[in-house]
Amino acid sequence: SLRDTVPRGDCETVCPNTPCFSEVAYSQSTGQKEQLSRCLQRGIRRVQDLCKVLQLPTVFEETAVSYVQRALQHPSFHLVSLEKKELLGGCCVFVTCRQHNWPLTMGTICSLLYAKQELFASVYLSLQKELELSVPALSLADLVKTHLNSFRLFQHAADIPAPFVENKEKVVARTMQIVELASETWLVTGRHPVPIVTAAAFLSWQSLQPATRLACTLARFCKLARVDLPPPAHLRLKELLEILLRMASQLAWLRVFNLDKKTVVKHIGDLLQHRIFLLKSAFCPEDEEEQQCAAAPGEASPGSAAGAVQGGGCPSAGKRRPLLPPCLVNPRKRLRTAAPSASDSAVTGEEPISDGEIEQYLRGPEEIRAFRKAQACAAAPSTLPTPCLATCCI
Amino acid sequence: MESTGSVVSVSCFLLQGAMTPGIPIFSPMMPYGTGLTPQPVQSTNSLSILEEQQRQQQQQQAAQQSTSQQATQGTSGQTPQLFHSQTLTTAPLPGTTPLYPSPMTPMTPITPATPASESSGIVPQLQNIVSTVNLGCKLDLKTIALRARNAEYNPKRFAAVIMRIREPRTTALIFSSGKMVCTGAKSEEQSRLAARKYARVVQKLGFPAKFLDFKIQNMVGSCDVKFPIRLEGLVLTHQQFSSYEPELFPGLIYRMIKPRIVLLIFVSGKVVLTGAKVRAEIYEAFENIYPILKGFRKTT
Repeated sequence: SLRDTVPRGDCETVCPNTPCFSEVAYSQSTGQKEQLSRCLQRGIRRVQDLCKVLQLPTVFEETAVSYVQRALQHPSFHLVSLEKKELLGGCCVFVTCRQHNWPLTMGTICSLLYAKQELFASVYLSLQKELELSVPALSLADLVKTHLNSFRLFQHAADIPAPFVENKEKVVARTMQIVELASETWLVTGRHPVPIVTAAAFLSWQSLQPATRLACTLARFCKLARVDLPPPAHLRLKELLEILLRMASQLAWLRVFNLDKKTVVKHIGDLLQHRIFLLKSAFCPEDEEEQQCAAAPGEASPGSAAGAVQGGGCPSAGKRRPLLPPCLVNPRKRLRTAAPSASDSAVTGEEPISDGEIEQYLRGPEEIRAFRKAQACAAAPSTLPTPCLATCCI
Repeated sequence: MESTGSVVSVSCFLLQGAMTPGIPIFSPMMPYGTGLTPQPVQSTNSLSILEEQQRQQQQQQAAQQSTSQQATQGTSGQTPQLFHSQTLTTAPLPGTTPLYPSPMTPMTPITPATPASESSGIVPQLQNIVSTVNLGCKLDLKTIALRARNAEYNPKRFAAVIMRIREPRTTALIFSSGKMVCTGAKSEEQSRLAARKYARVVQKLGFPAKFLDFKIQNMVGSCDVKFPIRLEGLVLTHQQFSSYEPELFPGLIYRMIKPRIVLLIFVSGKVVLTGAKVRAEIYEAFENIYPILKGFRKTT
């Protein structure tokens, strides 16, 4: 029969010119999709489209479709809004990619679906919870490779100055090392991953040919590379440079140069090469107080404490700070609610409530009258004569 | 692409060379393994007289406001079903009835387990209590908004009056059905007191308000373990409970099963615990998570 010999989905109508026949898709005429609900059909369709666009392996599509089926059968998804159901296919593809270590970011899938990230996030979290899916964390190393694929600085072009073009493998390798350094120094945990990769790529590219590239800013770099500059990238860059400067302060032959955040870029290669040792010397363990930090091994510089500078200049050789996440190094002053006092603790919940205390919350009769008048004025100002407004509106 | 096995290798790659050697990638669930076998739990049906007395004492303690007392001693958090016995710092007030009868959680046998691993010494501080009560009569929200100073009512935006009082500093949502939600209190007792005050306001506005089915619906606590936490590591070893999406939210969402509490764990070491119906669940959840978090602490 036709069903066996014709590839599914691709067969269009038989007699387009005859008026008595109308064009009908093969799948429709054979009732292939009859048993599946419309939501499920749409979800499967969305999964197929995404897998095609992202060029994912076939097995991804099967897994994602099975997740869509499971999700729609789950009672908590029946009543979810259509808007959310639209995103279900995309969510399932996203989960599948993450489970296979395919570095797809939420930002990418949201832009493909034209979805608001908050909405996508809520569907994703519900899906993860209801189907009890374990989703491994995004692999930064893989993200580096895929993200750098979209950078435009690896081939000569008319609008890119020749010295700016760089070998892709070199940039990828160095970016990976810088991202790893960021991860070790607490710059990655809890932060958006893409801005870190962008900042690391910039530093890595600069450091490979500092002479011509030091003058180029992060913004210009992103423009030339035809990638978005995410706002946190500037902060990540600043944090990376601070780490690198501290590391540089531990290299004897670099200390004479009095490096700053521009010039340290020239030595990133060296710093990365010796990073394990340099991190140990530049930072003390996190549980040690800054004052207790011993001077770097072999360096006794008691008088150099005054030389420590906040950003910009090279930190003094002897002073180490604990290796902590930035939020702990520069804690934002926050109003801490005081611990409950003894009187708070004595509350039983059954205390008598005085009339006076309650009456402070009630309007007196004159106040009610005034309020009513004010409400009327506010509601229909044009119908009342102007003198009225002067008297009743406070 | 690579199989899931590469997730570990890639993350090892990122964590390698870290200052401290050997961040355990696959640490056992209880890194501070004490050899404590989970205690068999007795059902309340077979309580002896002595256990019954102890249970009543514990109920009264749970009802008391004793946030000033220090670490819950005795049983560790390793066996989640244990009900923590709090040390008696003050004698129970005469005549106080337990306002919040503790849920019929299975009780441990009398002899407390020797605490092989010390408790954390940190007590989570309660930050917010959400409770509901039924005032038992239909309410005219327009009248309330007109006659009360502390009321806000925008029917186009939300179908309830928003009322606030100064002491205890709380907010209430009052619905025309007579149902009310009270938020912002720092303890169960304060929540109850506040709810009663709102009910009195509504009474004085001329409605026959009652105080029916008062119930604590949610409790939120927070604390600080005072050391940074590698969230990427935690999500690897506790995948089935954790959700860590830095693209969405900087903290790790940990859904504990016993007790049924959701914890938000941040890189700074701050922890938020929510979803509790009684405060013991918050304390218990924290004692459960603390050894897990300590396992991720760097050991130089």
